Amino acid sequence: MKPIVVLICGLLLLVGCHTPAPPPTPDPDAELIEKGRQIFFNETFDGNGRTCGTCHPAENNFAIDPAFIASLPDDDPLFVAEFNPALKENFENPRLMREFGLITENLDGFDDLANKFTLRGVPHTLGLRFTIDSSLGPRTGWSGDGSPGDGSLRSFATGAVIQHFTKTLNRVAGVDFRLPTNAELDALEAFQFSLGRQQELTLPLPLKGTVANRGQAIFNDLTLGKCSACHFNAGANFNPNIPFPVTGNLNFNTGVEDLPDQPQDLTGELVPPDDGFGIPGDGTFNTPALIEAADTGPFFHNNAIETIEGSVAFYNGDAFNNSPAGQLIQQATGSGINLDGTQVVEVAAFLRVINALENIRQSIELLEPVARKSHQTVEQGLQLLDLAGRETEDSIMVLSAGGLHPEAVQHLKEALRLTRKAKRSIFSKSHLARQAIEQQQKARAELVETS
Amino acid sequence: MLKHIIIAATIFILIFGAFSVQAEKSTEMFIPIGQSPGLSGEYTVMGKIDQVNARDQSIKMSGPSGSYTVRMTKHTLIYLDRSKTQLPNSYGTLADCKAGDMAEVKFVDNARSKPIEWIKVQKAK
Repeated sequence: MKPIVVLICGLLLLVGCHTPAPPPTPDPDAELIEKGRQIFFNETFDGNGRTCGTCHPAENNFAIDPAFIASLPDDDPLFVAEFNPALKENFENPRLMREFGLITENLDGFDDLANKFTLRGVPHTLGLRFTIDSSLGPRTGWSGDGSPGDGSLRSFATGAVIQHFTKTLNRVAGVDFRLPTNAELDALEAFQFSLGRQQELTLPLPLKGTVANRGQAIFNDLTLGKCSACHFNAGANFNPNIPFPVTGNLNFNTGVEDLPDQPQDLTGELVPPDDGFGIPGDGTFNTPALIEAADTGPFFHNNAIETIEGSVAFYNGDAFNNSPAGQLIQQATGSGINLDGTQVVEVAAFLRVINALENIRQSIELLEPVARKSHQTVEQGLQLLDLAGRETEDSIMVLSAGGLHPEAVQHLKEALRLTRKAKRSIFSKSHLARQAIEQQQKARAELVETS
Repeated sequence: MLKHIIIAATIFILIFGAFSVQAEKSTEMFIPIGQSPGLSGEYTVMGKIDQVNARDQSIKMSGPSGSYTVRMTKHTLIYLDRSKTQLPNSYGTLADCKAGDMAEVKFVDNARSKPIEWIKVQKAK
């Protein structure tokens, strides 16, 4: 009997020790963001079963790629064209979706579905606060004209429901889907703006790695890499230090469509050229941020290139240097972009390291509520730990695949082990989450000088 | 360097003109009148078509704020909204715009002094 009493007392003490910390200052938008999260992942808008999260899953950086697609069951709504007879023809190309992660879009109109379409990858939705605004209005989607209505991120969901959620190709509002209400659009916008980083980087960073540091220097050198002209601070905005008639997030024709051996073109499937912005298109596409790039490939609007090294090397090729954007660079600087093999790898190493730093930041942000015990429910705690684990997996992958910072990778592997253990633990979640945060911080200290 | 950039940028804009605001026009067609996000109720005008003048490509409408005439150009898109009858929406022509039809118009740059960018005409039967 005595051991039982001791056990009960011990448990009561443990419970007492687990008194939740006072919640942080409430975010005035928290309720709206949470409502947006629920809509984003659960609302089908009376359509074919897809949600926003179907193509933008949180566990895969809010994007999909062939590897993630291969992990889905055959009855996942992503594959609705494979099991819904009304959507069997001219809604998606299942082969190209599974092999290359390409989604069908009818940006130039719905009047000839068999022949008039584009096939595009799914962009992530991280850091949207800094990747949409230009001095001429919002730029959404791969070609900057992805939203109906006023063209804003808030309106984006309306167009997405019409394009991707419909039960039939008639696309009749009220029959094949319902359109999002204004309140739903407000919530979805707030949720999407809450995703990922909430501030821009300020380059140069005091990076510790020799290769990544050289890559950063090349990236920022307007006479060598010239990357920072369009990707200021490795973001999505044009360099404000270069006099240009417009500012912010801009469109350019970089010649991606002129690449000679695009994977999807080699299949023999019909892949019409993508004319980009406008109807008819002017061939331009929107500038994406690079901070989140290394773990969200394949790259470019048509998923043409699989690796971050390949995407940097693209700017050395004829497709870019003969493109309008390449010509602009040549006219402005007297030469095109011509990096050698080591320089390509160095720029890619820089992009890998800043991506890993962002993964670490996100992992810590996800672990902190568990460490502080400020999450609302057990389920929410598990979800935070799951996402923290996935971010950590990404940082390990991004660094390892580039042969970068093995010491940091060891810390990240330990952080991952602790995060997974925290997920399984009943009583030590908070303690293990704190330990995982410490390992993340040690990994970060291997990558960048910390003050 | 600076001079080169300005010259190059100017040439770029003159040639490629990629610097205009553009919302997606293709899915706009499927949005019933009065429901265009960020536009309806704020920048667009709704009313009943009173008269269609094919010769000068204009439409006279009347609504709660009175009567007004809107001008079209060869770039103006005409959407036929059949969602009330549960039929698919489609593109139309000026000939589809009939007196008595409800319509919604969006002006170029949301400026009422300019021609219209699109008109949605509700077809109730």
